[in-house]
Amino acid sequence: MGALAAGIAIGLAALGAGVGNGLIVGRTVEGIARQPELRGTLTGTMFIGVALVEAVPIIAAVIAFMVM
Amino acid sequence: MFNFDSMITRQRKWMLYWLAILVLCAGFLPYTRIFLGLILGSSISLYNLWLLQYKSDKFGKTVAAGQKPRTGLGTFTRMAAAVLAVLIAMRFDEYFHLYAVIIGIVSSYVIMMIDYILYQIIIIIRNSKED
Repeated sequence: MGALAAGIAIGLAALGAGVGNGLIVGRTVEGIARQPELRGTLTGTMFIGVALVEAVPIIAAVIAFMVM
Repeated sequence: MFNFDSMITRQRKWMLYWLAILVLCAGFLPYTRIFLGLILGSSISLYNLWLLQYKSDKFGKTVAAGQKPRTGLGTFTRMAAAVLAVLIAMRFDEYFHLYAVIIGIVSSYVIMMIDYILYQIIIIIRNSKED
């Protein structure tokens, strides 16, 4: 049961983070492609967004590893 | 103006200050196991922060140059690093407190948020003085 719980935890967290990261990075690429001079601002915003989105799957990976 | 380079330098600086404080606490305070766990987690967190900064910067430069980015943002590497820290903490349980390691891993995100909020407040104050 522990392995099942770990699998569900990491799987759902990775799914959510994948969708979230995809949205963030996709919009950033679109923005930089339109206005390359705004690269610093857009990269900074992307950086903070990606970091906050990724905190959840990292913690999920840790918890899944502890549960196993 | 929102400057990416100054932001990442500031974040790394805060992270190194935090690590220095933890090393001093581990050396002089009685809760050595907890502080060693925090140091381990924060070291991995510093690596994660540096990796995300490096990859974001590289990604932005590649897209701005009109090329197709060939590498991702290193999500799997960061997850593996966090699991490695937990693995070390579980293997050497007599030296590292597990929950302290987890708190240490999250510390870079806390620092990032505090830095962002502080910087926004500073910008608002600066703009109100100029008006």
